[in-house]
Amino acid sequence: MITETRSGPDRRRLLAGGTALLASAFAGRLSAQGAEPIKVGYIVPLTGAYGADATIQVKGAEVAIARFNEEGGLAGRMAQLLVRDDKLNPGEASTRAQELIERENVALIAGCFGAPMLAVNAVTRQRGVLYNPVGASDAIVSASDWSATTFHEGPTPFMLAGALARYVVPTLGGSKRVALLVSDYVYGHEMVRGFVPVATSLGAEIVGEVRHPLGATDYSSYFPRLLAMKPDLLVVMSFGRDQQITFKQATEFGVKRQMRIAAPQLVHTARIIDGHSHYEGIVGGTGYYWGIENEIPSAKAFNDRFRRMHGGQNPSDYAAVGFASVMAPLIAMRNAGTTETKAVVAALKALRYDLYKGPQHYRACDQQAVQSILIITSKPPKEASVKDDIFKVLAVEQGSEDRLASCAALGHKT
Amino acid sequence: MSVAQTVPAPTGLLARRFGPVGSLALALVFLAVLPLVLPYTSLAGTVLVMGLFAAGYNLVFGYAGILSLGHAAMFGGGAYTTGLLMLKLGLSWPLAVVAGAVAGALVGIVFAALALRTRGIYFAMVTLALGQCGYQLAITFADVTGGDNGLRGFVAAPIEIGGLVLDPAQPMVRYYLMFGFAAVALAGLARVLVSPFGMVLRAMRENLPRARACGLDVRGAKALALALSGLVCGLAGSLYAIHLSTVPVDTLGYHLSGQAVMMTLLGGMGTFFGPLLGAALFVGAEHLVSDVTEYWQTVVGILFIGFVLFCPKGVWGTFEGARQP
Repeated sequence: MITETRSGPDRRRLLAGGTALLASAFAGRLSAQGAEPIKVGYIVPLTGAYGADATIQVKGAEVAIARFNEEGGLAGRMAQLLVRDDKLNPGEASTRAQELIERENVALIAGCFGAPMLAVNAVTRQRGVLYNPVGASDAIVSASDWSATTFHEGPTPFMLAGALARYVVPTLGGSKRVALLVSDYVYGHEMVRGFVPVATSLGAEIVGEVRHPLGATDYSSYFPRLLAMKPDLLVVMSFGRDQQITFKQATEFGVKRQMRIAAPQLVHTARIIDGHSHYEGIVGGTGYYWGIENEIPSAKAFNDRFRRMHGGQNPSDYAAVGFASVMAPLIAMRNAGTTETKAVVAALKALRYDLYKGPQHYRACDQQAVQSILIITSKPPKEASVKDDIFKVLAVEQGSEDRLASCAALGHKT
Repeated sequence: MSVAQTVPAPTGLLARRFGPVGSLALALVFLAVLPLVLPYTSLAGTVLVMGLFAAGYNLVFGYAGILSLGHAAMFGGGAYTTGLLMLKLGLSWPLAVVAGAVAGALVGIVFAALALRTRGIYFAMVTLALGQCGYQLAITFADVTGGDNGLRGFVAAPIEIGGLVLDPAQPMVRYYLMFGFAAVALAGLARVLVSPFGMVLRAMRENLPRARACGLDVRGAKALALALSGLVCGLAGSLYAIHLSTVPVDTLGYHLSGQAVMMTLLGGMGTFFGPLLGAALFVGAEHLVSDVTEYWQTVVGILFIGFVLFCPKGVWGTFEGARQP
C-alpha cells in the first residue's frame, strides 16, 4: 500500500503513487476491454428427446470457437461460447435468450431448433440481436417471422423434402403411387408442403395421407390403411422417436417388403442408436454426412478438426450445422471488423462461404442459407470403414436459390 | 376425500401473524425486490408470472380445497387472448392484458359449468380433460394460434404515463409494468380472502357437508372461486405473453397445470405468500441448477421430495406453523 511507507505519508509520494496506481488501473481496464471476449449464446435442448443431437451440436459449435480463436479472433478478441439448455421448452428458451442478452451482452445467439427456435426469434427480433438458428422450419424464413437480424443456417423442410422428391420419384419406374405417413404437427405438415408439389410435378400420384399424433408409439393400426392404398413408395414425414419407431415397426410388420420407404430427413444419431436393420433400404435426405470428405476439401478440414477436438469421433449432421451456425457469423464479424450488429448483418449478407460442404450463401429476401442436400441410405456394418460409417451418399443436390420456396411464396416482397 | 383433507391445514386465510395488510405487503415487497436480487431480470419476470399463476390457483386449491388439473387452460386462455388481440386487432397491450384476464375468468366459468357436477378426483379428471381440450384446440386451429410453433408476431409497444414513456422492451421497465398488474391482482385477491366469501371458501375446505348444512351456496361459491381464480391465472398468462413476446402452445399443456400444483404445495397451500415463494423456489431451482448440471431434474426432484417430506405444509406454511404460539 502506498500509504504504508515506513517514513510516513509524504504528499508528493502519495500523489505520484496515486497517479501511478490510477494509470495502471486505467491501463488494465483498457487492456481488459481490448481483450473482451465475443460472447456467443448457444441455446439447445440438452434435456429432452433431442438431447443427443443437441450435445453433438454443441461440440460442433466448440470447433467453430476454437478455429476462430486459433486464427487470431477479431483483432485479438477471442470468442467465448455460452451454452444454455432450453429443455425443449419455448418459454425457457425465451427466458434464456433474454438472460444472454441482458447479463452476457452476447453478440450472437445460435443453435436453436424445435419450437423454441421461434420463441427465441421473437426475443432477438425485439432486441435487435444477431440470431442464426439451425432447426428444420419453413416458418422461421417466412415473412411473418422475418427479422433483419435473423439468418437461418439449417436446411428447411421445403429444401429436404423437395430434394428427396427429385431423387426418389424418378427411380420409381412406371407406377409412381406414393402414400404419406405424417406426424400431425408443424414439422410433418411442412414436409408435406415441400414434397407433394415436386413429386406430383414429376408424375407421382399421391394415393393417400395418414396422419398420426406426435409421440405415437404404435403404428400397427396405420399400416393396414397404408397397405390398402397399394403404394410403391411410403414417405415417412416424422422426426426423432416417431420416425425411429415407424422404421422399426415397418421392419417388424414386413411393410418394407410391400413398398419402398423414404423420409425427408434421416438423422445420424438416430441411425447409430437403432442400427442398420431398421434403416435398411430406406432413402432420406440430410444436410451433412461426414463421408463426403473425400470429395469436398472443406468437409475434410472440418472433420479433421472435429475429430482432433473430440476424441476421434466423426461429426454428425447436427454437429456440422452447429459449427456453421457459429462460424459463419464469426467470419462476418471479422470481415466487418466489429461485432456491431448492423455491420455484421451487412457482412453476412455479402458472405460467400465454404465451411463444411461446399459453397453457401444467405439468400437476400429471407436470409436462409442456400446449401446442398445429400440423399443417403443406411450402409451395412460389413461395408463400414469405421464404427460411425453409417450412410452411403446416393446423390448430392447442389445448393441453388431455385430449389428453395420462392420469396413470394414465403410472403416476402420481391 | 378432498386434497385439502389429506394435507395438514394451514394457518388461516391470510397469515394470522402477519394480518391481511402484512401478508399483502410482504408479497409486494418480495416481488418488488426480485429483479434486484436474482441474477437477471427476465428470471424475475418468470417468477412473477408463475407466482401470480400459483396465487390464482391457490384460491381454489389451497383455500377452497378443490384440486384442479386443468388450470393451464385459464393461463393459456389469457395468454392467447392477449396475443391475438394485439396481433389481429392491434389492441394496445395494457387493454389486451385486461382482456386476457377476463378470458381466463370465462374459462373458469366454463370449467365451473362443466366440471362442478363432480367432486374430488373426478373433478380433477374432468378439469384435466378440459385443459387438454384447450391444448388440442390450439393445435387444431393452427392458422389462428400458430399451432406447435406458438403465437408470434406481436410486440408490446411503449406506453406513456403522465408524460413518462415506458418501453416494455427494456427488461426492468417491463418487469415493473408487470408488477403493477400483479400488485392490483394480489390486492384484489387479499380483499376477497378477508371478505365473507373468503370465509365461505374456508368453511367448504374444512367441512363441505357442514357448510352445505349451514345453508351456504356451495356450488355457487365454487363457481365464483373458479371464475376469480381464472381471472388471476388469465392475467398471469397475459403477462407471460408480454414477457416472452410469444405464446408457446405449452402454456395450455398439462405440464403447466401440474407445475401450478407443485409450486403451490412447495410454497404452502392455503397461505397467501406461499405460492409466490413456491414459484420462486421452483423456477429458481430449475434455472440455477440446470446451469450447474445436466442432471438438474434429478436434483430438483430430490429437493421437491425433501420439501414434501420435511415441510408437508410447504416452506411458508411450515414457517408460519413454527411461528404459532
